[in-house]
Amino acid sequence: MLALLLGNFVLMAFDARAENRERVVRVWVQAAANFIQSPVTYASSAVTGFFTSIVSLRSAQTENDKLKLEIQKLSVEVQKNKQIADENIRLKNLLELKQQDEYDILTAQIIGRDSSAWFDTAIIDRGSLEGVKLNMPIVVNGGLVGRVTAVSPLTAQIDLITRDKSALGAIVGEIGQPNALGVVRGEGVREGLKMDYVPGYIEVRKGDIVYTTGQGGVYPPGLRVGVITEVRTGSATVPHQIFIRPSAKISAMQEVAVLLYTAPEKAKYEEALPNAVKEDEKAGN
Amino acid sequence: MEQVKITVALVIAILLQWTLRNIAEPFAYLDLPLIIVVYAALQRNAIRAIIFGTIAGIAVDALSGGLLGANGFSKTLVAYAVSEIARRVYLDNLLLRIPIIAGACLLDDLVYYGMHRLLGQSIGAPLLETMAYTIIGTTIAGTFIYLFLDSFSSQSIKQKRREFFAPRRQTRRRNPIRLGRK
Repeated sequence: MLALLLGNFVLMAFDARAENRERVVRVWVQAAANFIQSPVTYASSAVTGFFTSIVSLRSAQTENDKLKLEIQKLSVEVQKNKQIADENIRLKNLLELKQQDEYDILTAQIIGRDSSAWFDTAIIDRGSLEGVKLNMPIVVNGGLVGRVTAVSPLTAQIDLITRDKSALGAIVGEIGQPNALGVVRGEGVREGLKMDYVPGYIEVRKGDIVYTTGQGGVYPPGLRVGVITEVRTGSATVPHQIFIRPSAKISAMQEVAVLLYTAPEKAKYEEALPNAVKEDEKAGN
Repeated sequence: MEQVKITVALVIAILLQWTLRNIAEPFAYLDLPLIIVVYAALQRNAIRAIIFGTIAGIAVDALSGGLLGANGFSKTLVAYAVSEIARRVYLDNLLLRIPIIAGACLLDDLVYYGMHRLLGQSIGAPLLETMAYTIIGTTIAGTFIYLFLDSFSSQSIKQKRREFFAPRRQTRRRNPIRLGRK
């Protein structure tokens, strides 16, 4: 028994150390579990979908009439937008602005949730064979969900932004405007985030939208994080306490999108800063 | 036969633990592998129970956000504790097993949480709430699963149980008041 306990302890210690690196055992068990999880998920979603479609048939006629009216309105709006888009392109060409980088998106289905009640990770049916890599951002309907924490050839594990360990650089309002910068952290509850370090003298209102800044080195800038639901106003010396509701409906998501985005590598001097002197000594300089 | 039954039950429990939460969120509060590990420990075969505990724990950890080995550690410890109790106390009665499942679940949760704290890992879920739900869910599910597993019990065990609970011959008690009369 002692040997088994010791073995488990060594595994734990090894896993705790390899937090932001590839975790081999976990990855291969995930790959094996995929052959069971995928069929069960597809079967259960097919059954749920069947019953949902029966229920939704009742309201289909009314909805159809509403949608027809909506189409009429939208077609007019599309025409207007097309004119605006054309104008936008013309003006951009005039100003010689460079097109912003766009990220390729890979849609994925959630095939498994955390097998323990203590954590809230999810497993998606896309892996390294389809280009998924560690730390790639996950979004749903334009809202940030989390990032990839383990990748097997066929599946990947994602960690949600609501986990209390996660943190990301964020800004209230659009990038490029003089707005409040801060750090968004998970609170450990499914629908709650908190934003820290926003100076108390900056005006922040309930209902403002929070975006990523891209400074954390994991998420690209401009992803929608959530909407401010409560502000406990600070003062000139005390920062605000800001509570955010995530834009993505984390508790109800079935399909997500993986942004095939890899953060730019940090400059070498940033990574080696604390040991810079030692490295120089080793090199004999 | 008994060994095959428990092994099959453990494999099914692990597979269900991997998949059930995706169907409905409340299933997260059922610890099916723990139920089977405790059942194995109640058969008074400590070594088998401990090995089952480690395997089930690592299998659950592999698809969880927690530390790999934390569940293995806690379930191994639970298996040992339950098998030691089962060696000393007769626990084949279903009513006695209910507090054993609840106690095993409590110990498992405390050790799991403690190991994470020890290694500097934070756990997002609220401790008391998660523990309470897990204990309630696992104890209720465990009671039904034990009834189900017992119905597959091999004939020899049933026979042994009958012998253990052989109907006692009732002796007629004499009236102590009458005894004193002449």
